Amino acid sequence: MSASSPALAASGHDAPQESKFHLLVQMAMVLAILTGMEVVTVYLPLPKWLIIAGLMVLLTVKFVLGIWLFMHLKWDKLFCTILFLIGLILAGGTAAALLVMFNDHDSVPLTSKDLSAVTIERTVQAA
Amino acid sequence: MEATAHAASAGTEAHAAAPKRSWLFTRPTAKTGIVSWLTTVDHKKIGMLYGISALFFFLVGGFEALLIRIQLAVPNNTFISHQTYNEMFTMHATTMIFLAVMPLSAAFFNYIMPLQIGARDVAFPRLNGFAFWVFLAGAIILNIGWFVKSGAPDAGWFGYAPLTSKAYSDQFAGDMSTDLWIMGLQILGVSSVIGSLNFIVTIINMRAPGMTMMRLPVFTWMTLFTAFLIILSFPAITIALVELMMDRSFSSNFFEAAAGGLPILWQHLFWIFGHPEVYILILPAMGIISEILPTFSRKPLFGYPIIVFSGATIGFLGFGVWSHHMFTTGMGTMATAAFSLMTMAIAVPTGVKIFNWIGTLWGGHLQMRTPMMFALGFVWMFMFGGFSGIMHSAAPADAQQQDSYFVVAHFHYVLIGGSVFGLLAGIHYWFPLIFGRKVSEFWGKLSFWLIFIGFNVTFFPMHFLGLNGMPRRTAVYDGNMGWNDANLVSTIGAFILAIGIVVYFAVMIRTYFKGEKVKIDPWDARTLEWSLPTPPPEHNYDVLPTVHARDAYWYEKTHREEIAKEHAEHAKAEASHGGIHMPSQSWFPLFAAIGLLIGAIFFVNHMFEWAIGGAAIFVLGVYFWAAEGPGGYHVHLDGDDHHDGEKH
Amino acid sequence: MSTHAATDAIDHHHDHTTSTGIPNKKLFMWAFLASDCMFFGTLISTHLIYRLHQTPNSPDPKKLFSIDLTLFATFVLLVSSLLVALAVNASQKGATKSVRRLLLGTIVFGLTFLSCQVFEYGNFLHEGLTLSSSMFGTTFYTLTGTHGCHVAIGVFWLTLMYIRTFKPADERPWVLRSLGHLVVFAAVAVSCIITLVSAAHAIEEHGFTAAVLAHAGQHNIVTIAIALVGLGLLNWIGRTSKAVDFGEANAIDIESLGLYWHFIDIVWIVIFTVVYLLEFL
Repeated sequence: MSASSPALAASGHDAPQESKFHLLVQMAMVLAILTGMEVVTVYLPLPKWLIIAGLMVLLTVKFVLGIWLFMHLKWDKLFCTILFLIGLILAGGTAAALLVMFNDHDSVPLTSKDLSAVTIERTVQAA
Repeated sequence: MEATAHAASAGTEAHAAAPKRSWLFTRPTAKTGIVSWLTTVDHKKIGMLYGISALFFFLVGGFEALLIRIQLAVPNNTFISHQTYNEMFTMHATTMIFLAVMPLSAAFFNYIMPLQIGARDVAFPRLNGFAFWVFLAGAIILNIGWFVKSGAPDAGWFGYAPLTSKAYSDQFAGDMSTDLWIMGLQILGVSSVIGSLNFIVTIINMRAPGMTMMRLPVFTWMTLFTAFLIILSFPAITIALVELMMDRSFSSNFFEAAAGGLPILWQHLFWIFGHPEVYILILPAMGIISEILPTFSRKPLFGYPIIVFSGATIGFLGFGVWSHHMFTTGMGTMATAAFSLMTMAIAVPTGVKIFNWIGTLWGGHLQMRTPMMFALGFVWMFMFGGFSGIMHSAAPADAQQQDSYFVVAHFHYVLIGGSVFGLLAGIHYWFPLIFGRKVSEFWGKLSFWLIFIGFNVTFFPMHFLGLNGMPRRTAVYDGNMGWNDANLVSTIGAFILAIGIVVYFAVMIRTYFKGEKVKIDPWDARTLEWSLPTPPPEHNYDVLPTVHARDAYWYEKTHREEIAKEHAEHAKAEASHGGIHMPSQSWFPLFAAIGLLIGAIFFVNHMFEWAIGGAAIFVLGVYFWAAEGPGGYHVHLDGDDHHDGEKH
Repeated sequence: MSTHAATDAIDHHHDHTTSTGIPNKKLFMWAFLASDCMFFGTLISTHLIYRLHQTPNSPDPKKLFSIDLTLFATFVLLVSSLLVALAVNASQKGATKSVRRLLLGTIVFGLTFLSCQVFEYGNFLHEGLTLSSSMFGTTFYTLTGTHGCHVAIGVFWLTLMYIRTFKPADERPWVLRSLGHLVVFAAVAVSCIITLVSAAHAIEEHGFTAAVLAHAGQHNIVTIAIALVGLGLLNWIGRTSKAVDFGEANAIDIESLGLYWHFIDIVWIVIFTVVYLLEFL
């Protein structure tokens, strides 16, 4: 990174206006690089679960950089962050719960083939 | 450039040398008459608009309920057709939830909350007006069906897929009853979310000096939590309705099983909204009760921090229990067990609140005025509803209870015994503040007892009907099921309840015109709104209060000298700053809402190009709203304490 | 609400008229964005659920998706996010001309993103993917379409903000002129998009040659003309405007807009990964 980074990290809105400009441009470049990394990751010869984990990590990093720096949460009152996180965590939790429930084998409806198999099994047992 | 910065952009007061603006942006200034109501930005007037609308629709919903009960009074009845019956139970629920209880709560949020935090209005006054007019637009759309061939919505208030698909719910080509339901709820959602965003910003950002969060009245806390519930749960039903609308109007396949759609997804999305919705319905009533019980027990609220924390917990946990409405849908053991446990858990903070209310009463010098009667009724009846709710939380038991009258009994106990009792209590409690008149104790208590008895006679037998297997949403039942007596009793109870409601309304109307006038603070209450004249002036506080403790007004009454000195100092300070700043009225919230209404009506009729026209009117309204700027004028109080509403 | 607006320097990071110091409009926008998280959360969940319950007729997204186009669109949106952040920065310094240029840049990149979406939809429709052809079509178009609507609303808001920076300080009624400005701007935007998307389709089909370009130009002569005339008008408006009523006091409005625009960018970050990239595994 550039030599002005340590100063940037400490300053925030008190920083001279130019360094804000530089910070934003640098951030955009970082995000672009991370996006490129995501696309590359997809084509890597790694196990699927690892790639998905990697993509999720990259996504999260981009997301956090976006809200922390571009959306200025780092320098704003903490309540703004809390407010947004309430919505984000609730949305994430709801999405996760829905995906778990819909992937649960128990929740998949029986097809008519399965049903007739069950009926035959029960008839055989009863006999 | 700064020297010429003007009202439109910077939000400062309009200059003495008024800029020549387009006639389009001349702000209406009528303080009485119909224009004052159509262009109001005053939270108190907006609260009254919500209240009147809600009470009107409460009667409509009640009428729909009576038709249901007449039909079910005897077996194999032919009072109304099955089709009409379907419309009745759909519209009774939709009306009561969205057009009666929610707006009545909104009436109190609007009127009372700013007064309780020591503010002069909400954060965005024109947006507040807009939220009301959009609510009215939604109410209109939901009820258009009664007047057209399609008929009213008839697929249940929860509109399960695939019943709401074109294939199953359209009884003739061009049947738009379900489309009206979808659009009506979407518009109401817009109103609720916008109103709630406004309330959140107001409560967080516009509290009087010294009003820390832990000194807020509990009603204001509940307003805050309800607002959060609304902004976080309505998106789920918005998406569900969008998906359903896409299926019906644009041939998508979200809930079309033949194409791979999963109708169960509708249930999930709906109840992700639907469960927080019931907490949206009950938390305001809990807030009202938390104001009434201390006032009439002559004691501070017991366990204030715990009550606040429980409210937050109920709100949060409320997002984790939605599938308890789906125990019989075959979700699988893990999911069913998880939701069962979460539902049991959520009873804990609710129970904690009940114990704290009892703790408030305990050792208090109880004054059995009418608001107190309703409040005590709330505590007891809501507990009943809670008990049947706990019974539901056990999934195996729920397997029998689901879709039976046991559920109907449960939710009417929490909704009428809880929400409605709380709101009726609030009307009695704050009537003297809002209208300057006190309701007669005799007639008030009579209406309470009629309502209480009628309500219990109607709904208690339904527990047994449910356990004996009577299903919901069926227009007729056969005479040999063993359900006849209970149904007849229930119907008789419904009429007693109706008489009670009629008496309640008659009492309110009479009191409004001829009731005993009251001076300030008739109940010797504890919170800031009671420090105002009855009714309060448009600008609320002559001098913004400084808050020193919880139950801020009680502190003021017990430290009169200190407060008087402070008051005088602050009055001077405010006068030297230019006086009291008031928001200007505006036509554009109404204008924009009309655009939305027009667009929605055309959309429902599948006339999409015309719908774009309606949207264009909406956008134009918003454009002018932005262009006219915040405006504002100053009010100066002269020595006699009359306001000289001098505009600069 | 009750105090006189200060005539001394505006502190863009602390509003002393509110209980928390957070400006009302900023708090409002963050609360709205929390709500919008739930909105997109449920929509993305719907898409993922249906991807995990595929029907036999489900198309193969790998064959449909052009990762190049989507990657390009992602970069475009990212740059637009940078530009609006810089616009917020400029507005807090009162640098109106910079604000104008940066807002314009954001609009151009935002419209480019939308054009990429339109172009992509055109290709997919050509391949037979519609709202009703499969579950994938249903969820894909609804999800990306909803995001696209958010972008479109954002572009509209940006345009209004851009025009607002031209409000003259001389107090004459301006609303009709502003509407005229808006109409010209919209005409230019729509014409450019139509022309470019049409040209892009032509190039995609027939290759990037002078002949193809000339033919595309001929085919779209009307829209090109409108765009050129409109651009001339916009340029004239930009150059002839005198002192304006726009400055640091309006920075909060740009900041709110910026928050909204950044949010739809980070939603796209999620959509890009979850809807596009995951299909390539």
